[in-house]
Amino acid sequence: MKQAWRKYLAARAPRYTSYPSALQFSTAVDDKVYQEALSRVSLYEPISIYVHVPFCKQLCWYCGCNMRVENHYDRALDYVDSLIGETRLVSAALAGRGRPSSVHFGGGTPNYLETDEIARILDAIECEFGLTDDARLAIELDPRLIKRGHLAELARLGFSRVSFGVQDFDPDVQLAINRVQSFELIESCVCDAREAGIEDVSFDLLYGLPRQTPATFAATIEKTIALGPDRVSIFGYAHLPAALPRQRMIRDRELPDTDGRAELSLMADEKLVAAGYGRIGFDHYAKPGNSLFSAACAGALRRNFQGFTDDVATTMIGLGASAISFASGVYAQNAKTVKQYAACIAEGRLPTERGVVRTERDEAYAKLIAELLCQRDADLEEAGRILSGGEIDNIKQCVMPFVRDGVVTFDAARIRMAPGARELSRAVAAAFDPYAGAAPALARVV
Amino acid sequence: MEQVERIMAHRTVPQNKAILKEGEPNDCLYVIVSGSFRLTKYLEDGRRQVTGFLFKGDFFGVRACDESAYTAEALEDSLVCRFPHAFLEEISTASPGIKDRLIARGQTEYHKAQDHIVLLGKKSAEERVLSFIELVGKSVGATADEDGEGRVIPLSMPRQDIADYLGLRLETLSRSLASLKKKGVLRDIGRKSLVLSG
Repeated sequence: MKQAWRKYLAARAPRYTSYPSALQFSTAVDDKVYQEALSRVSLYEPISIYVHVPFCKQLCWYCGCNMRVENHYDRALDYVDSLIGETRLVSAALAGRGRPSSVHFGGGTPNYLETDEIARILDAIECEFGLTDDARLAIELDPRLIKRGHLAELARLGFSRVSFGVQDFDPDVQLAINRVQSFELIESCVCDAREAGIEDVSFDLLYGLPRQTPATFAATIEKTIALGPDRVSIFGYAHLPAALPRQRMIRDRELPDTDGRAELSLMADEKLVAAGYGRIGFDHYAKPGNSLFSAACAGALRRNFQGFTDDVATTMIGLGASAISFASGVYAQNAKTVKQYAACIAEGRLPTERGVVRTERDEAYAKLIAELLCQRDADLEEAGRILSGGEIDNIKQCVMPFVRDGVVTFDAARIRMAPGARELSRAVAAAFDPYAGAAPALARVV
Repeated sequence: MEQVERIMAHRTVPQNKAILKEGEPNDCLYVIVSGSFRLTKYLEDGRRQVTGFLFKGDFFGVRACDESAYTAEALEDSLVCRFPHAFLEEISTASPGIKDRLIARGQTEYHKAQDHIVLLGKKSAEERVLSFIELVGKSVGATADEDGEGRVIPLSMPRQDIADYLGLRLETLSRSLASLKKKGVLRDIGRKSLVLSG
């Protein structure tokens, strides 16, 4: 990366998995607003379903997710009943509208649940929303909880995509984050998945973890390449110990600095690309032939709460505690704690706690930012149909420093990311995003 | 009635052949003499939905129309009887209610739509599958299996059609059938028939 660009790596920017981001959510959006938004979904509109399983067996110290360590499986069973209850409530509000294009189980740890429970949730989704054989089923898995035959069971349920939370292969780094899992364990999980006929295997890796050095992370990337996942996501660890007490277990002095983080990220990028992976968005990689790779080539890449995706759906139905939905221009987030969430379902009420209604102006910014992040090419002329001339001028002015440094180019009425600058697309977006300036603690660009 | 039976034209319909096509005119009432049919309809998003199955004694094409709302295809080599609606109108002056009396013997596509709605209202995949098997059993009549302890339900339709009809994935249909067998509700699962216990 060019020396002049490095200063942008320390910038803080939203992850843009939604726009406006969750920082703009308020209690103005409640169950009635969400219910009304669901009633405006059109008849055959593709919908993407996300199921949140907030339980884990053990705490990972880096984690920023909504999760809790749960030692009583009975409580998970109660939660599954609530999930099924919510499925029915949402389905009643949709009244037959919408068609699921994908179902994604995330967490926490979805495989904290036994396969029987996953099957029950899936059955409820299938009976309430209807699923076809071409709907894609994906699940995030903690390798440490995978037992013999587990992946074959998931494949039988129709899961065709699994992502393993690998993070880092180095034993010392694993100790520092309280997530110890051997290379052999991951290797056997990948073999099981392949044997079960699961075509799409993904690894989640993290850089910026304590005790990571270029040497240890290079070894992690080499081991990843050796196991040959179809996709790899490499996220930067966001160290926010003030907000997340569990992260206080991580020693600040063991963390790589901004330059160190950039080095890790760029080295991983180089190695994965040399191994034949294609760059997807700013933090995903996929093998040619993988559907995500094809979508990126076709300009059909999108961004949603799961990151970069080839899912065609704009409408998202989030089920479970803290899950976020997006329907008819409304973001709606469910109650965050399992207790509050379950109480709403027991009352027969959609568990919406907060959210935001996207304005036409938000919509224009959302489109610009999505284009910049996914296609690296944003159409200002199109945005000008909604935004005023003054706003467009302001956007141009905000990105001027990036133009001077060659990070972006202006081409007629478009903003284009320069080759090799994809890591900075979030920083460019944040420069003109009217919400970003006012936002408090944001994650670093790298 | 005699007059009706005299003009009845029997017609064989080979497997997979459509006798009525969605969007095309229909001017005949059909009754299935033997075999079975699948009713399908294309949805706005281009997907095909199976909306019903018809068996021996069932009627379809109950109304003459310029554009049929569905397609009717033979699931196996079948035999139907057709009555031109114009003819039924003509004789109904002499014998009022002749059409209703004819149809009273069997079920029509409208009855099948009711069944479909009830099935889709079932809350679990297994319930849907079991209700479907019982429904087919009632329509075609079950026969006792070899040792007389089970009821054999013939299934002329492919699994994919059943899954489409029930709004389930193929995997879920197979899983539900396996689970029903494990629970002892089903004694045997064959490609062309199922055996219900007791």
